[in-house]
Amino acid sequence: MTPPAPLRALRRPAGAPAGLWLILVILAAIAAPLLTPYAYDIQNLKSAYQPPSASHWLGTDEFGRDLLTRLIYGARTSLSVSSIAITISVLCGMTLGAAAAWFGGWFDRAVTTVVDLTWSFPEILIALILVAIIGPGTTGTMVAISVAYLAQFTRLTRAQIMTLKGETFIEAAASLGAGNAHILFRHLLPNALAPVLVSAMLATGDAIILEATLGFFGLGAQPPVPSWGGMMSAGSALVFKAPWIIIFPGLAVAITVVAINLYGDALIAELDIRARMRRAV
Amino acid sequence: MTMSIRKTLLTASVSLFALFAAQAVTAQEAVFVLNTSEVGAPTYNPIKANNLNKATTLIFDRMVSQAADLSFHPWLAESWEEAPDGMSWTFHLKPGVKFHNGEPFNAATIGPWLEAFKGSENAYMTEAIAKVEVVDDLTVKFVMARPEPNMLYNLSSSFMSVIEPKSYAALGDNYGVTEVYGTGPFKMESFTVGQETVLVRNDDYTWGSPLAKNTGPAHIAKITFREIAEDSTAFLELKTGGVDMLLGVPADLLSEVKKEPNLAVLTLPGQDVYYMPINVTKAPFDDIKVREAVAKAINQEEILASVFGGVGSIADTFLISALPESHVSDAAKIHYDPARANALLDEAGWVMGADGVRAKDGQPLKVSLWTQSDSIFRRLTEVVQAQLKAVGVEAEITTFDSSMIRDQYKTGTQQLAVRSYDWDNADIVDWFFGADRLGYPNISMFNDPKAEELRKAAMTGSKNMAERVANFTAYHEYVLTQFPMAPIYQPVESVAYNADRLVMPTELNAPVVGSTAVMDMEVKE
Amino acid sequence: MYSYLIRRIVMLVPVFLAVSLVIFLILHFIPGDPIDNLLKVGSSPAARAEMEARYGLDQPLPVQYGIWLSKVVQGDLGTAIVARRPVSDLILQALPHSLRLGGLALLFSSVVGVGLGVLAALNRDKWPDRAIMGGVLLGSTMPSFWLGLILMLIFSVWLGWLPVSGARSASALVLPVLTIGLGGTALVARITRVAMIEASGRDFVTLLHAKGLSPLRIQLRHVLRHALIPVVTILALRIGWILGGAVTVEVVFARPGLGTLLIKSLSQHDYPVVQACLLMLAMAVMLGTLLGDILQAAMDPRVRAALA
Repeated sequence: MTPPAPLRALRRPAGAPAGLWLILVILAAIAAPLLTPYAYDIQNLKSAYQPPSASHWLGTDEFGRDLLTRLIYGARTSLSVSSIAITISVLCGMTLGAAAAWFGGWFDRAVTTVVDLTWSFPEILIALILVAIIGPGTTGTMVAISVAYLAQFTRLTRAQIMTLKGETFIEAAASLGAGNAHILFRHLLPNALAPVLVSAMLATGDAIILEATLGFFGLGAQPPVPSWGGMMSAGSALVFKAPWIIIFPGLAVAITVVAINLYGDALIAELDIRARMRRAV
Repeated sequence: MTMSIRKTLLTASVSLFALFAAQAVTAQEAVFVLNTSEVGAPTYNPIKANNLNKATTLIFDRMVSQAADLSFHPWLAESWEEAPDGMSWTFHLKPGVKFHNGEPFNAATIGPWLEAFKGSENAYMTEAIAKVEVVDDLTVKFVMARPEPNMLYNLSSSFMSVIEPKSYAALGDNYGVTEVYGTGPFKMESFTVGQETVLVRNDDYTWGSPLAKNTGPAHIAKITFREIAEDSTAFLELKTGGVDMLLGVPADLLSEVKKEPNLAVLTLPGQDVYYMPINVTKAPFDDIKVREAVAKAINQEEILASVFGGVGSIADTFLISALPESHVSDAAKIHYDPARANALLDEAGWVMGADGVRAKDGQPLKVSLWTQSDSIFRRLTEVVQAQLKAVGVEAEITTFDSSMIRDQYKTGTQQLAVRSYDWDNADIVDWFFGADRLGYPNISMFNDPKAEELRKAAMTGSKNMAERVANFTAYHEYVLTQFPMAPIYQPVESVAYNADRLVMPTELNAPVVGSTAVMDMEVKE
Repeated sequence: MYSYLIRRIVMLVPVFLAVSLVIFLILHFIPGDPIDNLLKVGSSPAARAEMEARYGLDQPLPVQYGIWLSKVVQGDLGTAIVARRPVSDLILQALPHSLRLGGLALLFSSVVGVGLGVLAALNRDKWPDRAIMGGVLLGSTMPSFWLGLILMLIFSVWLGWLPVSGARSASALVLPVLTIGLGGTALVARITRVAMIEASGRDFVTLLHAKGLSPLRIQLRHVLRHALIPVVTILALRIGWILGGAVTVEVVFARPGLGTLLIKSLSQHDYPVVQACLLMLAMAVMLGTLLGDILQAAMDPRVRAALA
């Protein structure tokens, strides 16, 4: 028996280190309190701006807090905000895309037009406008990110369903008298799922960057809760004084997103869905 | 064919070179960076503006100039007399003064100028003046509706910069935006809002304030005022020689400036106060004990040392300490007192819980703490949050965009906030605590009958300066005892400049770096 | 071909109407009021009403929309409430900066991206391929404000080669262009590489090989031509990025531009400016989509044949 694709992807040359890094980051985020002797929020103003040392591996921030501790806790915020946002986005996008593809006609045209337009709009602008409406903080960020990526999943799902619609097994089911809902939920969506899930994973990487960018504008998670974006935002004003405050969270974002992409690529190869993914771009 | 390509390439590289070379600043030209709080000021129309930047003080002159000791001196008005009852003022104007568009400045200027204030943003500056009488070509008399001890202060304020009335009327909303005419030492050449303003020297200028050594045309021929929203970017520009002077350096950057051998700092008393407004209408802050407790939980010394690098001083009243009205009784001053803060919270029924957060009737003592997105406010607010936590108050921070936060205050839903103001007159107490301005600027939603009474006496019931000081001190002191805010910090005004490029006047007789300083400033050849 | 073009252009009209309505409505959901920024605090309700009437904010929403739309169609974008000048002035001031930055960044990522993509495809699955693709991936995963600040730290502060911020000289463009360009390179390189590999498998390539043409010549002359179709289409579709996507980089380098103008006006609730900026972006996006389709049609012989 072959192991499932996510495990097989771990055996690929680029998938292995990428997958391991992701597992490491997720475990660290979950076990954060066990990993570090420091608290992420207790200030010790006397030991502010310390460069990396034996007691503070990544140095301290402007309030004397251990940067590694905050980086680990920050992973919690950044990963959970972006993955929850993408989950919402996927659920809504799939519903919308499936409905558009299934019902066709004016509904499809309307959805396609709106989706194409928003897809062509820079995500950061969509997110900034939404945060202006909802207000800053974790909730606002999550909603903003999920709306910003809605178009992508709607497009993808719609394209998948459109291709599948023409396939023989669907026509067979329809001719056997299966209802709309039955065909959509039992046959179409499950088959469209794999490409959507993989692209959701890749989008989570982009969402981490978007979350960080909103954090840079001071609109993400509110202090003292650390997030990678928020840490970089504070560090950006201190870049010449204590460059480590901004460098490490930035590296954390870059490495994690690279890992997500490499692992995602490995997964695509394992699932053999490259052609189906591209058709939707 | 090949020839023409080569030619094109040559032309292209020459023009590219010209573009690169344009960056090198030539002699007697300087680039200044405006204070971040002045970024985005939309107009140079002093009458209709809420926010004016420093370049305004070079385009316009004022009737009266103010010295470093806050005393008043002649400028466009050579001398003046106040009637003993305070009901009229006579001003003798300087002869030979011309606006940038060639119009003369004389007694006929004053009437239409003051008239333009009616119904404008800054109408309060002139509302005590009932009418203006022209005595002769260079003499005007203000007939007062009530005594205004603050008259000379108002006339020295940049909001009362003297505008040219004819172009003001003709240009309408474009005055101060596309064109602007004053009598000042510099003329506006171009203005791109949010980006930069270019000023060129007014070569006819001979009527500078006597507080400067140079009263003739300025030494510097051309000044570019850049607007940079982030202090750290501005600092890097100064450090790398991209600009010559920063008109406002936050205290936390001063140590960095001092590390650079070619940079120098000029320090003047500041006009800002950082404070924490407390919304008196929102539970638990409707209880004065809780208000006093949070106010006394703020460790001003620690903030001064850690956030502001020890530069400046702590604030223990609402006013800058240079103002006489800040001299309230010691009992009314608000200082860090953790024992008192804890005792008051105990008394008010908030019991310390095991998690370090107080609670009453099962409700944890959780409050909101608003701040604006500038990095210094975010840093300060995080320290305030930690200090409140130390007495068992859990404050949840919300960061708003600096220009958005005013709208948020207007909703009145705030509990605590961290902010600052910049003003050097006691009437700021009226501005931030007057009952007719709830929400913003009265962020504390403070509406107290006794305070209103004292406020009225202070604002309109004073016949002379001594009375005004006494009335405002009483009003200020009473407001402090009600704890609608906690004072935190008073910065100094620091200006950093490139000493290889600029020569600063050795003595500066002005409260801020403005026209007086620029008149005596020189660029090294 | 022409009838196709005309059909596509006519179809833009309802889209434009829908987009303008959405833009108009969204802004009115944002809490806060531009008039508050203008009025002296404590002004009388009469002064407020006067100000609202002046900017047409006292009218019911549908009427406001109608007035705005009819003016926009006539080319009048209105007057900025907070910035107090014609919106068209503000946009005309910002647009050249955005076009310059976005255009150069686009040029950078197209040239470098296609170049790297071709190089990677020619060395498919060998180490240069892996190195190039890994490199561009890393470039695209760094948050742009972070990359911008790090570049600023290295090239402006430590080396002193380039100005820190602003738009006062051409050299000030280098770092912002590099920051945005590096991010876009990954997308272009990836698409080019895949398209090259895919096109190499086509029948006509086998035919050309059979004819005895040199493999490199086939790749660069014929395969690349085919491979460029998806690249150009994607670039045209993402034209919105050129104008608005640079906002973070504009903020980091204190540059003027459409993005900064939009963000600034958004926070000040300067509706006329925000509406105009968004409308400009939406129109650019619509035209980009159109351009992408047309280019695709013009470059792909099969589509061209089908439309003829």
